[in-house]
Amino acid sequence: MSSLIRLSNISKSFGGALALDAVSLELKPGSVHALMGENGAGKSTLMKILAGVYQPDGGGIFRNGHSISFVNPKEALEFGISTVFQELTLLPNLTIAENMFLGREPRSTLFSIDRRRMNTDAKDALNELGLDLDPETLVSELSIAERQFVEIAHGIKADASILVLDEPTAALNAADVEILNTHIRRLRDAGKAIVYISHRMDEIFRICDTVTVLKDGKLVGTRPMSVMNPSSLVSMMVGRELQDLFPVRSKAFGDVLLEVRHFKIGAGTKPFSLNMRSGEIIALAGLEGQGQQRFLRSLIGQFQPFNGAVTIKGKPLPLPVSSASGIRQLRSMGVGFVPEDRKEEGLFLGLSIADNIAIGLHAACSEISLAENHRQRIEKAMASLNVKAANARVIVSSLSGGNQQKVLIGRYLAEKVDILLVEEPTRGVDIGAKAEIYKLLRNFATSGGAVVVLSRETVELIGLCDRIYVFHADTIVSEMSADTVSEQNILNAALNAEAAIERE
Amino acid sequence: MKQDFTNLLTGRQSRQGLWFAPLLVAIAIAAYLALSAPHFVGSENLLNLVAQAMPLTITAIGQMFVVVVGGLDLSVGSLISFTTAILALDGPGYLLIPAVLAFAVLVGLINGLAVTRLNVHPIIATLAMQYIVLGVTRTLRPVAGGTVPPVVLKAVNGFVFGVPMPVFWGLLVLLVGWMLLHGSRFGLHLFAVGGGIASGNEQAARNFGIAHKRITLLAYVASACFAALAGVYLAGRIASGDPNVGLGFELDAITAVAIGGTQLSGGIGSLQGTIIGALVLAMLSNGMNLTNVSPFLQTAIKGSILLMVVGLQKRKLIGL
Repeated sequence: MSSLIRLSNISKSFGGALALDAVSLELKPGSVHALMGENGAGKSTLMKILAGVYQPDGGGIFRNGHSISFVNPKEALEFGISTVFQELTLLPNLTIAENMFLGREPRSTLFSIDRRRMNTDAKDALNELGLDLDPETLVSELSIAERQFVEIAHGIKADASILVLDEPTAALNAADVEILNTHIRRLRDAGKAIVYISHRMDEIFRICDTVTVLKDGKLVGTRPMSVMNPSSLVSMMVGRELQDLFPVRSKAFGDVLLEVRHFKIGAGTKPFSLNMRSGEIIALAGLEGQGQQRFLRSLIGQFQPFNGAVTIKGKPLPLPVSSASGIRQLRSMGVGFVPEDRKEEGLFLGLSIADNIAIGLHAACSEISLAENHRQRIEKAMASLNVKAANARVIVSSLSGGNQQKVLIGRYLAEKVDILLVEEPTRGVDIGAKAEIYKLLRNFATSGGAVVVLSRETVELIGLCDRIYVFHADTIVSEMSADTVSEQNILNAALNAEAAIERE
Repeated sequence: MKQDFTNLLTGRQSRQGLWFAPLLVAIAIAAYLALSAPHFVGSENLLNLVAQAMPLTITAIGQMFVVVVGGLDLSVGSLISFTTAILALDGPGYLLIPAVLAFAVLVGLINGLAVTRLNVHPIIATLAMQYIVLGVTRTLRPVAGGTVPPVVLKAVNGFVFGVPMPVFWGLLVLLVGWMLLHGSRFGLHLFAVGGGIASGNEQAARNFGIAHKRITLLAYVASACFAALAGVYLAGRIASGDPNVGLGFELDAITAVAIGGTQLSGGIGSLQGTIIGALVLAMLSNGMNLTNVSPFLQTAIKGSILLMVVGLQKRKLIGL
C-alpha cells in the first residue's frame, strides 16, 4: 500500500546537540502508528517537524513521491497534517469554537465570522467525541481533561488526513481514554493515518498496528505491532549498550545526611520512606508524573505534601516548607537545588558565567552587604568544571547546553553545599558533556556530599547512582541497588505497579 | 440568572473584561451631575458632551486595539496635533485629508515594525515616535494658526437632516470599532495574539497559523488611523492647526481604555468598555466644569477613579 507521507533521513540539531539523526518514518492510510522512545529520544522533535513548527536541517518530506516542505504550522495543516501537541496550546480567552476554528474561521461576508456556523460545527465535533460542552464557553473555564478533548476535537475537525496525537491521554482517566480509542479507530477506518505517542504500554498494544522506536535521536526500527510484545518493545526502547560514560562508584558511605519517613504526597497516597548517606547518589525513577518530582519539590517548598518527617544532617526540616523562603532555608542547611529547566528556572541567561556562579555565593550574605567579586573562587570553579568559554565574563546564553548545565551545577559546588537535589542533570546535553557532569556529581559525592538525582533517563540513573527508588502513584514502589539492576527491571517495576493498580 | 448577573458584574466567562461595573460608575456620575448641575441634562449640554467626548473616544478605540495585543501607543497625541497642523496648510481638502491618513498609516507601520521586527518595547517605540511626530509638527507650525478646509468644518460642525454631525461620527466609529474588534476575523485574531501574550506563550497564536506579527502591526496602524480621525475632528472643532492640541491625549486614551476594563496585559477588552471609559472622563471634566470644581482637583479625581476602577479588576479573572 502506498504511503500518505514519507519522512526521509530527517536530521535536526539544537545548539550543538543532535536531536534527530537521519530518522525516516512512513505513514500509511488507515493505520495507527505508535512512536516510542524515552523522553528526549526525539519523538516530539520529529512530530514538530512534521507539523511545520521546526524545519529539518537535513532530509526531506515526500508525498506521493514529490518533495514537500512547510515553513509554518498553517502550511502543514494545508497539507492535511494536524497535530495535537503534548503541551496545551489552546488560547484561554477564546471560546471552544473560536479555538477550534482559529485561523480558518467560516466567513459570512468578507470580514465577518459566521459565528452560528462555527458554533454548530464545533458543537457537532464535540458531540462526535461525546462531549456535552457549550461551544461558546471560554477555554479558561474548562478542566485540563476537557481542554485536552477540545484539542483533539480541533485536530479531528481540521479534516486532516494525518493526525498526530502527542501523549493525548496524559490528562485523561481510563473512561476518557476508552472514548478516545473509539474515535481513533473510527478515524483509522476512515482511511486516515494516525501517529500515536504515549508512554502507556497497554494503550499502544490496544490500538496501534505499527511501531517505530527512536533512541537518542536515532531510528531503532519500525515493526508491525503483531510481531511485538511488551518486553520486546521495551528492549527495543532501552537496548543500548552502556558506554564508558559513568565514573566508578565509591562504596565508602558515611553518615545519613537525608532521612525521609512516612512521607505522604497527598491525603490518599501511600506513605514512603527513604534515606541517603554521605558519599551516596540516589535516584528517583518512575514514569512521568508519578510523584517523584512533587516529592523533590516539596523539600524546597514548591509543592505542599500531605505530611511526613524530613531530617537533614540530623536536623528536622519542618513541613510544609514555605514556598517563599524554602530554597533559602535549605541553603542555610547546606542543600542546593538544581532545577530541571536551566533556562527558565536555573540560570540568568543574560548574565555572565561569573555572575551566575557568584549569585550563589552572594545568596548567603545579607542583602546590604558588599558584593565581593569572588574572582578566585569563580576561577577555581570554572577550572574544575571545565567550562568551554574564553573567560568568566562570557554571557551564559551564548554557551552550549552542556556548558550551561555545568555552570548551573558549578554554582552549587562553589557554594560548598553538602546535599545536591538535581533534576534532569543532563537534559538536552550532548554525550561528552554528560560524562563530565556525571564525573562532577560523583566527585562531589566522594568528597563527602550526597546527591538526589531525578531523571527520566533510566540509563543515566543506573550508571550514575548507587540506589534507585522507583515511584508510582505518588509513592515508592521499589528500591533497587544500581549495580545489579537493568533498565528493564526499572521499567517493569514502574509498569507492573501500574498494571497491578489497574487490576485492583 | 443571578449567576449571569454576577458574571456580568465581575467580567467572568467573557473576554470583554470588566466593562459593566464602569458602566454603573458612569451612570452614577451622570445621576450625580443631573441632580447637582441643572444644566447637565439639557440637550445643548448633552450634545456638547458628545462633541467634547468624541476625539477622546475615537483615540481610545484606536488605542484599545494595541492594548488588546499587549502593547501601548504613546504616539497618538503627537499624531493628533500633526493632523491638525497638516489640515491647516491652506490646501484643498481632497489632498490634505488623504495626506493625513497616509501619514497615519506610515506612523502606524513604523510603530508596528519597530515592535514586531526590531523587538523594541512598545512604550519605547511609540515614545520615540511621539517625539519624532511632535518635532515635525512644531517645525511645520510652531504656534497655532492657519485655516482648515471648509469640507472638514462642515463634516464636524454641520447638520444632516437636522441631525448634528457629531452624532454621525459617533455612529461611524461605533460601527467600525465594533466590526473590527468583535465582528471580524481581525478582531478575533487580535484577541488570539493578546491571549497568547497574556498567558505567557507568544507562539500560541502562531501555532494556529495566525500571522501574529502582521496582526500586531495592523493594530498599530489602526491606532494611528483612529488618532488621525480624531485629529480631523479636532481640526474641524478648532478650525485651525494647533501643535499642542493633542498633548496628553495618549495618556487620556490609555486611561479610558483601562477604566473600560481592557487589560493592559492583553487578550481582554471590549469596545463598549472603552467608550464608557471615554465617557466617564468626558463627564468628569464637563460636569466638574459645570459645578466649578478646580481643574487641578479634576486631574486628581481622574487619577483616583483610574486607580479605583482598575484596582477592582482582578487580572487572573479568566485564567490569563
